Amino acid sequence: MLNIIRLVKRRGGREILKGVSLRVERGTVGVLIGPSGCGKSTLVRCANGLEMFEEGEVAVGGARLTAGNGNGREQQLRTLRRSVGTVFQQFNLFAHRTMLENVIEAPIYVLHKPREEAVRQAEALLARVGLTDRLDAFPHQLSGGQQQRVAIARALAMQPEVILFDEPTSSLDPKMTAEVLGVMADLAKSGQTMLVVTHAMAFARRVATNVHVMFEGVIVESGSPEQVFDSPTHPATRELLTSSTFG
Amino acid sequence: MSILAGCEGAKPARPSFRWGADREGGGPYIYPDPKAPSRYVGFEVDLANALGKQMDREAQLVLCGWDQILMNLGRRDIDLALNGYEYTPQRARDYASSIPYYIYELGLCVRKGSPIDSWAALHQPASGHRPRVGVLRASSADRYVTAEFGDSCEVVRFEGVVETFKLVESGQLDASVQDLPPIVFYLDRLKRYPKLEVVDHPAQPGYYVLYARLTDEKLIDAVNVALHKLYADGTLRSIYQKYGLWNATQEGLPAVWDHWPPKDETPEAGPLAVVLGELHLFLRAAGVTVLLAVLSMPLAVAIGLAVALVRAWPSPVLGGTGAPSTIPGRFLRGAMTLYVEIIRGTPLVFQLFVIYFVLPDFGVTISAFEAGVLALAVNYSAYEAEIMRLGIQSIPVGQMEAALSLGMTRGLAIRRIILPQAVRTVIPATANDFIALYKDTAVCSVIAVEELSTQYSVAAKSTGLFLHMAVVASILYLAMSWPLSLLAGWLERRLNGNTIL
Repeated sequence: MLNIIRLVKRRGGREILKGVSLRVERGTVGVLIGPSGCGKSTLVRCANGLEMFEEGEVAVGGARLTAGNGNGREQQLRTLRRSVGTVFQQFNLFAHRTMLENVIEAPIYVLHKPREEAVRQAEALLARVGLTDRLDAFPHQLSGGQQQRVAIARALAMQPEVILFDEPTSSLDPKMTAEVLGVMADLAKSGQTMLVVTHAMAFARRVATNVHVMFEGVIVESGSPEQVFDSPTHPATRELLTSSTFG
Repeated sequence: MSILAGCEGAKPARPSFRWGADREGGGPYIYPDPKAPSRYVGFEVDLANALGKQMDREAQLVLCGWDQILMNLGRRDIDLALNGYEYTPQRARDYASSIPYYIYELGLCVRKGSPIDSWAALHQPASGHRPRVGVLRASSADRYVTAEFGDSCEVVRFEGVVETFKLVESGQLDASVQDLPPIVFYLDRLKRYPKLEVVDHPAQPGYYVLYARLTDEKLIDAVNVALHKLYADGTLRSIYQKYGLWNATQEGLPAVWDHWPPKDETPEAGPLAVVLGELHLFLRAAGVTVLLAVLSMPLAVAIGLAVALVRAWPSPVLGGTGAPSTIPGRFLRGAMTLYVEIIRGTPLVFQLFVIYFVLPDFGVTISAFEAGVLALAVNYSAYEAEIMRLGIQSIPVGQMEAALSLGMTRGLAIRRIILPQAVRTVIPATANDFIALYKDTAVCSVIAVEELSTQYSVAAKSTGLFLHMAVVASILYLAMSWPLSLLAGWLERRLNGNTIL
């Protein structure tokens, strides 16, 4: 489903990603962990085309994104982004739009759905993430947890083949973290293909199909949660696990 | 002649008088000496010095704005006003007036070969179109043309004489009616406007006089005596000949002096009645002011938005990569930066001049009103561009990233997500600019747009009620800018209460 192949990203002469390959199969959940600054977020941003990369490629279903800034990039991005949804650490809800408007914006203006249909779908999605009232509230009137759940509903409204989560709970307090992770676990159960960058190890253990450990721009270890968490083979993984809490 | 007194403090002070004139009025009255531009020459300079000699007093020139010379008298900045001021009964009531020193007449100046070949042609224009006739605002030419030809011509009122010559040459005016001295000076002596000629006989003679404060009767008496002597000994004649101004008409001066002053037949009206009589003109001018503002501001915002988008294009908040862009892109952005800097760095009044007076040289002829709207729009577009650019760049990059991630194109994301938020953040600043622009419309009076400040200056000069007319104009300005400022305040509070993120 999502296939990242030998991706190299350089910034200011330094290699941030040193030939990273990673696969997430249809209906599975990949979790990417690693210490801060190891390149996790950069990988996600390359995978949805928000950042350019110098070598390698990203493939999602039939869509391909190749390295560099060639002429075909705009077309590649348009196709890729129909298949890939993204949930950001800072939520990035459209500040001038209500909860409901945030969710219907892209279906109406990108997919050209009729408004009533988009609203019906949005209400169903918001209900699915546990939001049923005050749909006319603006983002600044919502808690962080509520905002992030709206952001998930917004991503789902485009029916992406895979959703990338870029540290979705890092800006949230524990209670709100739990409510967002709960929604994500439900999504996983329903068969949504996901790649999740997170520090929430308990979530990773419970929900991940595969766990990937990144260290200094390289995936140093991949495997089932049991393999990675219970018998880590790489020193960086052991280091990461001892310093992490399993709350 | 010295411009400033008191440099030679050691000498016992010789009695002197200070006379006020405007060097911007131009030739042949008083103008910078082409050989030494810090000195002034002109027939009035020569006349003042000759008068000083006769009166055994030193003539000290004090530079004034032409409009304000009579007010400078009242303020005691000067003792005599000597700058092509005609005799009017109204002024003679408020100031002590001398006998005339020159009899001027009005000349009709047109392009060579123009269908307007006589004063009569102004009554019955050859084609269907109303001839546009340029005059000096609130001058005797203004009064004469308005009274005689106001029905068949459009009277366009200017601050200066030279503007009207230039516009007749470029075709924006059909004729210019001026006192003969400047016509003689610019057309015959300087030959600066070869395409122009004077047609028909000069009309409507009038008198240039000196004015003093009513309490300075003695000074005026001394001036009158001196003028008689200067005429008798031929000095006056030689001064006028030097500037090509002597003609048979001037030989009538002594006859005029014998029956001076002329009978005042106009009834005296109270200031309130005068103000009320002008009120409908003020209201119409206020309408023009509003029209200038409401037409130019949206244009300014639109141009500003386009410039801001070009300048901010590579920034990530507009979906740019921040990477070095193409050569044409860089060229376009450089051009926009230059545009903003040039427009912000030069006065609005010069931009107005360029649009109105220089564009016709390139075949683009627009009306004064259109030029006013365009100049205000262009001037404010530079400020709106900067405000808008900052507004755009204040939007978090995440907004654009989220939009792109949802499959929106860059254009759609800018239109639906970035601009609506940027516009909201700049509304208070733009509203404030609108109030400033509204008052800046006053600049359009220099190209004779009949807006509020033009109306003020016409009314003040023709009635002499400077203060009254200033109050009326200010009240009208305030009546319109105050609601605007309340609106701006309300918008600002509303947006602050609803802060984004």
